[in-house]
Order: sequence, then C-alpha cells, then structure tokens
Amino acid sequence: MSKTYTGLRERLELCTLDNGLRVCWLPKEGFSKTFAILATDFGSVDQSFTLDGKRYDTPAGVAHFLEHKMFEDKDGNALQKFAKTGASPNAFTSQVMTAYHFTCTSRFAENLSILLQFVFTPYFTEENVAKERGIIGQEIGMIQDTPGWQTYQGLFQALYREHPARVPIIGSVESIAEITPDLLYTCHKAFYSPRNMALVVCGPADFDEICRLAEQYSPKESPCIGQRHYGRRRGRVSELQITKTMPVSQPQFLLGFRDEPLGPDENWLRRRLLGDLAVRILCGETSPLYADLYASRLVNRDFDSDYIIIPEGAAAVCGGESRNPETVCQRIRQEVARLAQEGVEKTLFTRMKNAVYGLYLRVLDAPELYARQEVSAVFHGGHYPDFAAFADTIGPQDVQHMYARWARRDQSAVSIVEPQ
Amino acid sequence: MQQITRKKLGSGIGLTCVTTPKFKRAVMRLALLLPLGGPDAALRAALPQVLRRGTAGLPDFRAIGEALDALYGARIEALLRKQGETLAIGFLADCIDEQYAAGAEGLTAKVIRLLTELLYQPYLPDDAFSAAYTSGERENLLDRIAAQKNDPRNYAPKRLTELMCANERYGASVWGTAEQAQAITPAALTAAWRRALQEARVELFYCGTMQPDAVATLFAETVHHAREHMGKEIYLPQSEILACPAGEPQEITEEEPVRQGKLSLGFRTGGASLWGGNPVAYRMFQTIYGGSTTSKLFLHVREEQSLCYYANAQFVSLKGLLLVNSGIENSDFETARDEILHQLALCRDGAITDAETEAARGTLQNSWRAMLDDPLALERYWLMQAVAGTLVSPEERIEQVKTVTREQITQAAQATALDMIYFMKGAAGK
Repeated sequence: MSKTYTGLRERLELCTLDNGLRVCWLPKEGFSKTFAILATDFGSVDQSFTLDGKRYDTPAGVAHFLEHKMFEDKDGNALQKFAKTGASPNAFTSQVMTAYHFTCTSRFAENLSILLQFVFTPYFTEENVAKERGIIGQEIGMIQDTPGWQTYQGLFQALYREHPARVPIIGSVESIAEITPDLLYTCHKAFYSPRNMALVVCGPADFDEICRLAEQYSPKESPCIGQRHYGRRRGRVSELQITKTMPVSQPQFLLGFRDEPLGPDENWLRRRLLGDLAVRILCGETSPLYADLYASRLVNRDFDSDYIIIPEGAAAVCGGESRNPETVCQRIRQEVARLAQEGVEKTLFTRMKNAVYGLYLRVLDAPELYARQEVSAVFHGGHYPDFAAFADTIGPQDVQHMYARWARRDQSAVSIVEPQ
Repeated sequence: MQQITRKKLGSGIGLTCVTTPKFKRAVMRLALLLPLGGPDAALRAALPQVLRRGTAGLPDFRAIGEALDALYGARIEALLRKQGETLAIGFLADCIDEQYAAGAEGLTAKVIRLLTELLYQPYLPDDAFSAAYTSGERENLLDRIAAQKNDPRNYAPKRLTELMCANERYGASVWGTAEQAQAITPAALTAAWRRALQEARVELFYCGTMQPDAVATLFAETVHHAREHMGKEIYLPQSEILACPAGEPQEITEEEPVRQGKLSLGFRTGGASLWGGNPVAYRMFQTIYGGSTTSKLFLHVREEQSLCYYANAQFVSLKGLLLVNSGIENSDFETARDEILHQLALCRDGAITDAETEAARGTLQNSWRAMLDDPLALERYWLMQAVAGTLVSPEERIEQVKTVTREQITQAAQATALDMIYFMKGAAGK
C-alpha cells in the first residue's frame, strides 16, 4: 500500500507481513544515506506481563539488558558484521520501546539482513550474561553521576506510585544481578514476536527487497503476549516533591503535570501534537512566561519542556537549572491555572501552532528522527506525516481542556537535585 | 555532487553556500572568528548571549520570540565554539523552506535579516548594552563556568586539554575565566563588541534551495556595510601545532565527588592536522584505534575486559591532538591505562588487519557520505574548513580515504606521542 502527502512532498510504502510484522519505507529524494530501524513495542515499563497463562514480574532493567545482549550471536558479534559493510549500527531502550538501527550509504540489503537476523536470533549463555553485567554496571555508574537522569527518574517516582515508569530504564546493580539467560529467552519470546514489532526504512532502498528480506529473516510463528501490567491506577501524584543531593553547582529541577492516559479511541499523534503545543504555549522558549522567568534570572537557556505519553499515563514536563526552583514551579503552576481559566488568546495560539507545525515539518529532513517518530506512530496505528492534517483539527479550546486537567488538585510534582 | 559555492562578500567576509533541493528547511550561520583566549575571552563568551536578548527593533525576548514563531518556529541560537586556537561566536539559524507553508513567502530573507540584526543592530539604549541584559548574562556565564563539573564525562577531556596545553592558546576555555567574567560591565562589553566587529573574520553559511547570488545579496546588505569603514587588521585563523610533547609524559590525578572515575589520555599527532601532515591517514588510524564499535579500544577495553561503558579516541584536527576518553571503576585505573597504551603499541607495531583497515575505510566513507544529508553537520564541517583555509569537500575526503595504505596508518600511530594522562578519581560513596 502506498500513501502520499502532497503538501509535504512525502510518500510512504506500507505492508504487513503474514506474521504481523509491520514494514514501512519512507523514500527520501536526493538523500545518500539509508537509516533502518527495527523496533519492538517493549520498553522498561513492560516489566510485568502474562505469557501462555503465566504471569512474569521481571527485575528492573531487563529490556535494556536484552538490548545489549542481542548483538551477540553464536557466530560472533553483529557489530563486527556491520563493520565489514561500513554501516554504523546502534540501539536504544526507552520507557516504551527497544530499537536496533543502522545508517549506511552502501550495501543496504546486506546490512538489513544482518539487522533482521541478529534481532530475531537470541543467543544467551551464563558467561556472556555475566560479562554484560560488568559493562552495564559501568553504564549505571555513569548515569548515577548525571544530574539530568536523576531529576528525570525522581520526577517519575513522584508522579506515579505503582507504575513501572518509576523505575530506571537501566535498572540497578542489584536488579541486573537477578537476570539470567532463561529470563532473557522468555522476554525475547514474549516481546520480539513479529506482531509486536515494526521495521521502518528511511532513505534510498527498494521496497520489494525490504519486504522480501523481512519475510525471509523474520520467524513464521508470532506468539501473542497476553496482558501487560502497569499497577493500579491512581488519580493523583505519589509525592509532591522528591529531592536528592549531588555535586552540582546549582539546583536542577523537573516539574511534571500528570495527564489522562490516551483514551481507547484517541489518536496518539494528535495527542502528542496537542501536548507539544500546550507545553510550548505554557513555557516554551518563545512564550511570554519564559521571557519573564529568563529576565528575572530564574531560568537559563538550558530550560526545556516536553510532553510524554506512556502506556496508561501521560505527562507534561519542564525544567532545567535554577537558583530557585520553588519559585519557578509556583509561577508555572499559576500560569497553568490561569490558562485553564482564561484560555489561550487567539493570535498567540495561531503563531504557536505555526511554530509547532514548522518543528514537526523539519523532522522530515532528519532520517533518524523521522524514522523513530514513524515507528512510534506505527505502534499506535498511524503515520508521522499525518501531523499536518491533525494540526488543522486543533483549536484553542482543546489546549484549554488540557490545561484544565493539569490544573486539577494533586496532579503536579517536582523533582529537584540540590547541590551537596 | 552537492553544489558548493564559496564567495567573498568583502574584506575578510566569506560565504559558503550548499545549494540543494532535498531539504525542507534552510540552515544559516553568521560567525565572527577571533583568537581564542586573551583578555577579552569572557566578554566574547557573553556577547552572543547579550546580543540574543534584543535588537534595535525587537528589544526583548518576548518580541524576538513572537517574531520567530511568526516565521514558522524559526530558531536562532547563540554560537560559541572552539575551533583549534580560534574562537567562533555568532548565531546559528534554521527555518522551514518557504514552499512548505502557505503565506511563508520571503521567510528566508526575513530570517537572514533577523540574524544579521542580532549582531549588527543590537539593542543599545544610551549607546551601550542594557545594564540588565549585561548583568544577567554575566551571572549566567559565571553559572556556566561553575557548572562545568556537573557533567564529568565532558569535563574530564576538557580538564585534560586545559592542563596539557597550559602554555598554548588552546588551553584557554571558550568561556574565559571567572575573574574576567566577574568584571563584565555594559561599557566594557560594548567596547569588546566594537573591537570584535573590527578585528574578526566573518564566516557565513547557507544550506537550502536558494541560489548563492540571492543569498549573498541578502547577507551583503548588512554584513558588508558594517565592515566598510573599518581599517583594522583582520584576524587570520591559526593554530600552534606541537608535533611532539614539550617534555616527558605527565600523569595527573584529581579527586571529584563522583562515583565513576574518568580516564583521559592526551597525545600529540606528530603534526597531523587540518593544517598539515596527512589528516585523512590520521583519521583512519584514529578510527581503527578508537573511533568505532569495531575499534581496538571498543573491542578490547570494553567488550573483552568489561572495563568501561565507553572508551574512544577523538582526533582534534584543528590542533593536532588525539584524546582517549573512558569511564572506569576507580580500582581499574592501572589496568585500563595499560590496556589503552597497549592497544596503541599494537597499532605502532603494524598489528592492524586488512579487515580492520577496510572496516575503518567503510566507516569513514559512510560518515562523510551521511554528512551530505545533514545540514547541521555540513555547517560544522564547513566552518572547520574555513578556519583551516582548506576548502576540501566531504566528497573529496571520500576519494582521499580510498588510497590510504596500511603503512600510512602505522606511520600515523608511530607519530602519536603521549603527552598527559589525566585521571579524575571518583571519591563519592567509597
């Protein structure tokens, strides 16, 4: 199937294989490099699940551990195979997905075959699992020394009481000590099932060849994961504030507003667009509030904001460095309350919407970003370039409704890292 | 081939244009090139930030923010970059291409105008920078200087070069010193701005669909005019390249209250740099030694011995340095250091396989070719070329790397001389 976006001058080629693997190609006219990403709808939040009638509660960090270990095969390390073709491979694990990708400018078919083979072929031994604990142990050490990670983790601990988003993506030295080859095989079986995955290719390629290779190297069987468990849902934050201390020169903070999880019929991309727009109007770097906070030296150019959607949850987050995080949070909360009450002025809304449109459009120029966004969209049953059509459906009252949800009692929390 | 056009818009004003229809956005840069360090260092670091606060026509953040939103979310960011022993300050901008939104005609021209206004027609109440903006950005700069250690992974190599190049211009920080920053006043900053406009070489960049002549006309309106009545000598970028260390290698350990230790090693490249030697052969050596996931450092220090999460080698081509960086367990310091040096010794002895050579060649060709698809990477690439005065395109690099031999790679390794070992010892929770 083919989909054309005339205004954006973009085209998608789509197909779903018999085993359920979704395949998508984004041709980029005139580009030299091809970026391919094979992702599973399995992130750090998918710690508890039911497979073949049995419930598994896995140790924190298992999705990320699995990501590290997938590169190893019986006949060597996939990284070395890519080395022969000159491709740059990598992988990442987020709260919501695990993804493997490469960039190349030649020998695409060969690289795609390597990618498909290593991701679909688990190979874990006691020895190679033990070795990986050492490497990941060092990665944990690095993250523990990074203030940005600590504020992020603290915020999710404050926002949720039971949701696994509370737990660090990477786990802890203690939790990864519990990971065994058997457990990794179980997780691979549950989540690396073709029907739970998507392959997106962006840049020069031949779509028939992509589908043929995907068909050839993905398994015929495609088990169905039963339920995923995210804990009991609560209507309020777990804690209003979490404070840690670290060797930083001034306080760093992240303020979050809990939002309603995505509704069963709600479109994921539309919600993202709406969330990004609401956050930008509230405190984006061209917003009136940001200009005031900056002029009073309460925030600096590192201040940033985002809108995050996870299974059974969503949140608007913003933060950075400040000598007085409490005052910044108070000002932002007041602004949320005001916007919820008064709504957004028409000219401000229009110019912010144009700006968000411009930012979404620019993603189409960056194959890595575009393909990643497309994977997320595919997992939610849509396509990234749909954003242009959704933008037309969003009005000031939609943003106001969102602020009203954020403004409700006990919906916001802050995570602060104080200097030692 | 990408169409690259190099134009001279006046005395000491260069423009590089990459003309291509493939992007949906345009990227532009306006940079002043000045010597790194010196008494004006902190003033120059504060300049782009103060200039970014307002222009004569748009006097504050609110007004600039409104203007940028109206230009479909165009972005203009302050730029402050160490380019060898040259400092680049100015602005980097990007905006959507006009054909992708209704009513966006003339958008590129408006963004270029705003970009040049930020530098040449700033907000100057009473003929000097605003006291509030100046003090605000002075404090932000002091915060920035104090915050360096917040990120140990970036701080360790920075600290290494500061110590290793203490007697060279390169050892200076782009931010200047805290003492210099402390002394920033509106009058001093205004004077430094005027001096910078007189002395600096101007480097302009554009990547997008617009034809080079049209781009040149848009920039020339303001930039050339600003330069016209100035008679001062214009700075010519240069770097002092030490082929080998001045003395015996040093080992320095400093304790910081972090958990993980950071080990950084600094080497001289024997003169290989963008200014001389064979930089492409050197890139090949650096890639084999520690520049990819198949490099010796990655395979042996990380994968085989599990000593670290990262261990890589970085070629500072505008200064002729090689830096190796890794994050390790404190107790593994000697083991990691010895293994890093051992892997270098193997390269020197010619213990480099054909597979390693071809993998590195492929990696480099791939990365230069991929750069052609990334306007921001092209901007960084072409600024480095302009600083070195060598206008070699990524496509030419791809050709050059094809003929690099194993002997040249071994020679590059042999010319590499250890200057300093810096160990940031984690002293927290132990």
